[in-house]
Amino acid sequence: MIELQGLTKTYAGKNVVEDVSMTLETGEFGVLIGPSGCGKSTTLKMINRLVPLSGGRIILNGDDVTELPAEQLRRRIGYAIQSTGLFPHWSVARNIATVPQLLKWPKSRIDDRVDELMAMFHLDPAEFRHKYPHQLSGGQAQRVGVARALAADPEVLLMDEPFGAVDPITREALQAEMRRVHRQTGKTIVFVTHDMDEALQLATRIALLNGGRLVQYDRPIEMMVKPADDFVREFFGQADLGLKLLSRRWVHQYQRPPSLAHHATLPGLDHCWRLDDAGRPIVLEGARLDDQHRHTDVRAEWIATPEMSMKEALSRMVWYRVMVLPVVDGTGKLIGEVGMQGIMGIESDGGLHAGEPAS
Amino acid sequence: MSGAARSARPLRAASAGNGVLLILIALLIALTLGMAQLEPLFRALFPDLGNPLYARDSFLNLMLAHIGLVLVSSLISVTIGIAAGLFVTRPVGREFEPMVSSLAAIGQTFPPAAVLAIAVPLAGFGFTPTIIALSLYGLLPVIQNTIAGLGTVPQTTLEAARGNGMSRWQILRRVELPLAMRVIIAGIRVSVIINIGTATIGSTVGAKSLGTPLIAGLVGNNLAYVIQGALLVGLLAIVTDLLFERLERRYAFGV
Amino acid sequence: MTPPEGRRLVGNRVLTTLLVAAVASVALLPFASLSPNRLVSGQPVMLWQALAGWQFATLALIGILLLVAALAGPLPRRIALWLSLGATLPLLALDLQALGAYAHRALAEASPAARVSQGATFWILLFVSALIAIDALQRLRLGPSGRALYGVAALAVIGVCFSGELLSPLSIMREFANQRDNFIDQLVRHLLLVAGALLPALLIGLPLGLLANRRARLRNGLFSVLNVFQTLPSIAVFGLLIAPLSALGRAVPWLGELGVSGIGVAPAIIALVLYSLLPIVRNTYSGLAGVSTGALEAARGMGMTPRQILWRVEIPLALPVILSGLRIVTVQAIGLVVVAALIGAGGFGAFIFQGLGQYAIDLVLLGAIPTIVLAVIADFALQILVSLSRPSGTR
Ligand SMILES: Nc1ncnc2c1ncn2[C@@H]1O[C@H](COP(=O)(O)OP(=O)(O)OP(=O)(O)O)[C@@H](O)[C@H]1O
Ligand SMILES: [Mg+2]
Repeated sequence: MIELQGLTKTYAGKNVVEDVSMTLETGEFGVLIGPSGCGKSTTLKMINRLVPLSGGRIILNGDDVTELPAEQLRRRIGYAIQSTGLFPHWSVARNIATVPQLLKWPKSRIDDRVDELMAMFHLDPAEFRHKYPHQLSGGQAQRVGVARALAADPEVLLMDEPFGAVDPITREALQAEMRRVHRQTGKTIVFVTHDMDEALQLATRIALLNGGRLVQYDRPIEMMVKPADDFVREFFGQADLGLKLLSRRWVHQYQRPPSLAHHATLPGLDHCWRLDDAGRPIVLEGARLDDQHRHTDVRAEWIATPEMSMKEALSRMVWYRVMVLPVVDGTGKLIGEVGMQGIMGIESDGGLHAGEPAS
Repeated sequence: MSGAARSARPLRAASAGNGVLLILIALLIALTLGMAQLEPLFRALFPDLGNPLYARDSFLNLMLAHIGLVLVSSLISVTIGIAAGLFVTRPVGREFEPMVSSLAAIGQTFPPAAVLAIAVPLAGFGFTPTIIALSLYGLLPVIQNTIAGLGTVPQTTLEAARGNGMSRWQILRRVELPLAMRVIIAGIRVSVIINIGTATIGSTVGAKSLGTPLIAGLVGNNLAYVIQGALLVGLLAIVTDLLFERLERRYAFGV
Repeated sequence: MTPPEGRRLVGNRVLTTLLVAAVASVALLPFASLSPNRLVSGQPVMLWQALAGWQFATLALIGILLLVAALAGPLPRRIALWLSLGATLPLLALDLQALGAYAHRALAEASPAARVSQGATFWILLFVSALIAIDALQRLRLGPSGRALYGVAALAVIGVCFSGELLSPLSIMREFANQRDNFIDQLVRHLLLVAGALLPALLIGLPLGLLANRRARLRNGLFSVLNVFQTLPSIAVFGLLIAPLSALGRAVPWLGELGVSGIGVAPAIIALVLYSLLPIVRNTYSGLAGVSTGALEAARGMGMTPRQILWRVEIPLALPVILSGLRIVTVQAIGLVVVAALIGAGGFGAFIFQGLGQYAIDLVLLGAIPTIVLAVIADFALQILVSLSRPSGTR
C-alpha cells in the first residue's frame, strides 16, 4: 500500500506538485495521467526519492520513505522508464539481474529468477540471455526493462511512460502483457502515461493531475461517468465516451455460446460456425452485412479472445464487416462468440448502465 | 595529438571576448616592435647576463619570417589537403578514401620534430626542409577534416539538392562546402597551430623564425633570449587560435 | 569515370597506383648511396645496380603477383586481397635484405672509411608495402586481432633482418653500433620521461574530467585554461618554465637536490603534464557525458549507490573514450619528449639535435626513426586496447 499525504514539490519557488494525497491499496494498478508538464513524473519519482520531497509524506507499506536510506528504499521498488535505461554494456540476463546482484542474492537464485522473468515476458532464455540491448527491438528492450524492474520481487513497481516510444501495435501487445503480468503477480503498480486509452486499458485507479494538483482520483468507470469537473470531462472527451467505455469492457463479459452448424436450422439464428476436427472455427455462414447467406472463411484477423477489449472486438467487426466474431481459447478452439447485438445488451457485470451519468 | 581527436573537437573552450583578443593582438604588436624598450626590465631580471636583449636580428624580422614560414606551408597544405579530401569523397576517388584516411591518421602520430629532422637528409638545411616538413605535416589534419566535414553533410540534404536539379558542381559549391566548412576550418586551425610550433624548432635546421632567439638562448644559456622568443611565439599561437575560433563560429549553422 | 563492372580491367585501383609509384621510384630514384667517407655526399646507386640476379627475379615475381592481385579478372576478390597482404612480408624482407647484401658487397671492395646509406627507393618500397598492407587489411575488414597478428608478423620480419650481421655495414647501423650503450640509455630515458609525464597527468586529469562532468560551472573555465597549453608551442612552454623552476630550485634547496632546476627533467615533465591534461580531461569528460541519461536514471532508480554507478556503469561505458584520450597523449608525449632534449632532458631528441648540430645525418636518423617507430607502435597498441575496452554490447 502506498499513501501520498500532502505531497508537494517546489522548483525555484514554484509548486510543480502541490498537496497531492492519495492511497493506492496493495495489488492495485494506479495510473497517473494528465497534460504534459503537470507533474506526473515528478510525483512518481518522489516515491522512490529520485526527486527529493519538498513537503508531505509518502508511506510505503507502513514505512515513511524519507526515513529509509535511499538506496535501500529503491531496491524495494521496481523502476521502469520510457528510454528503458538498459545498460548497454551488460547482457540481457545481467541487466535483469541488476537488483538481485545489488542485494547479493546467491548466483543460482539469480539465474533461476532471470529465467523465470524471461519466461514471464515471452523472451526465450536460450535466444535472449546473452544478447545485448542494442540487439533488441524496441518492444523486446521494454520487456527486458520491465523484467529488470520486477527482478527482486519489489513491493511496488513504478513505471514512467514505459511504452511511450514504441509503435502502436507493439504498445498494444505490451499493454496486454502488462495486464497479464499484473494479474499474475498481484503487484502494486504506479504507472505514468499521457495516453488515455492506455490508462483505461490498464488502470484499476486513475489519478488525473493538472498543474501539479490532483483533480480526481477514482476508478476508471467513475471518472468517465462522474467527472469531478469540466477539466476531467474534457480530458476524457465526450464524443467517444461510449468507445472509451468499451475499452474497459472485455470480450469474456459479453461472450455467449456459439451457434454451431447443427443449430443452423433453429429459428431465429441467422448464422452458424463450421469447425475443423480440432474444434477451430473455419467457416462462418451468414452474418455478413452485405450478403446474409454467404459462406466466409474465418480469417485469423477477425478472431477474438476472452481478454480482448470490446473496443477492439467492435473495431474488428466494423473493419471486416461481420456481425459476429468467434471467441477462441489459447489453442484456437471455438469457445464462444460475440456479436454486434451483444454490445448493446447487458450481458454480464452490470453492463454499461451501471453508472450512467445522472444528467 | 593523433587523428581521432583532431577531427572533432567537440568541446570548444569558452571563447575569449573581443576585448581579450584585441588586447592580445595589441600586446603582440607592441612586443614585436618594442621589445628593445624592455631592455632595462630584462637587465634587472637577469643581472648576470651581459646581453639581455636579443639583437642579432630585429623581432619584427623574426616575426615576419615565422609568419612567412607558416603562411607558405599552410597555403600548400590547405590547397593540396582540400583537393585530396575532395578527390577521395567524389565517386572517382572514393576507392582511395580508406587508404588516405588511415594515412592521414597514422601520419599524425609521427612527431613533428622527427618529421622536420627527416626532411634534412632529403632537402638539406634552411628554409626548404622546414617548408617541406611543415606542409607535409600540416596536410594531414586538413585532409582528415575535409573528409570528415564532407561526411557530415546529411544524405537527405544531398538528395534534396539533387532532387532540386542542382548539378554536381553546384551541390559541391552551394551545399557541401558551406556545410563542411566549419570542420574544414577546424582542421586548418589544428594544422596552423602545429606549424607555428614546429616552425619554432625550424631554427634548429637553419630556418629563421621566432625560435631563433629561443634556441640561441637555450644553447647559450641566455634566459632572457628564451623568454623573448617564447613570449612572442606563444602570443602568436594564442592570437591565431582565437582568430580561427572566430572564423569557425561563423560557419556554425546552428551546430 | 569508373567503367561498369565486368568490363573493368583493374580491380583495385589503390594497389595499382601504389605499384605504379613503386615502379616509377625504382626507375627514377636511387636505392642506396655509396660514399668514400662519412663527410662526402654519396654516389646514387639504382636498384638494378644494387640487386643480385636472384633478388631482382624475386622482386619481379612479387611485383607480378601484386599486379595479378590488382587486376579485376583472374582471382576472386578476397584471395587477391590475402595475396597482396601476404606479398608485403616478402617485399619488406627483400627490401631490407637487398640493402644489407648490397652494403656487404660494396664495402668489401671499397676502403674501410666508405659508407653505404639507404636511398629514396628503399624508403618508398618500405612505404609502399606498408600502404598495401593497410589497404588489404581495411578491405578484408580484419578485426583488432587480425591486425595485431599482421603487425607482429611484420615486426618479426624486421626483427630477423636486424638480428644478424645483415644490416650492420650500413652507415646508420655503424652509427648505431658506435652509440649502442648511449642509444639504450636514451631509449630508456625517453620512455621514462613519457611514463613520468603520463602518470601524473592521469592522476590529475581523470579526477578533473570527473569534476568537469559533475560541475558544469567549472567546465568552461577549465577547458579554456587547458586549451591554452595545447595551443602554445612546446618549446615556448619549456623555455618559459626554465626561469621559475631554476628560481625555485635555488630557493628551496631540497627541491633543488631532488633535481628541480631550470633545465632537464623537471621542466620537461611539468610541460608534458600540462600538455597531456586537455586530452585526458576532455575525453574523460566526454566519455562520462556520453553515458545515456536513461541508464543513469535507471541505475539510480534501482538503488545503486553513487559509487556503484560510477564503477559499474559510468566508467565501463566511458572507458573507450578515456583510453582514446590516453592514446592521444601517449603519442603526443613521445613526440614532445624529442623537443625536450633542447632543454637537456635527454631522449632520442638528443641524437636529433646533436646530429643537426654536427651535420651528421645518420645521427639525426638514429634519433628520428626510432621516435617515429615508437609513436606508431604506441598508437597501434593503444588503438587495440581501445577496441578491446569497448564493452561487448556496444562493440
Ligand atoms: N529538475 C527540475 N528543475 C526545475 N523544474 C523542473 C524540474 N523537473 C521538472 N520540472 C518542472 O516541473 C513540471 C513537472 O514536470 P514533470 O516532469 O513532472 O512533468 P510530466 O507531467 O511528467 O510531463 P510529461 O508528460 O511531459 O513527461 C514541469 O513544468 C517541469 O518543467
Ligand atoms: Mg514525464
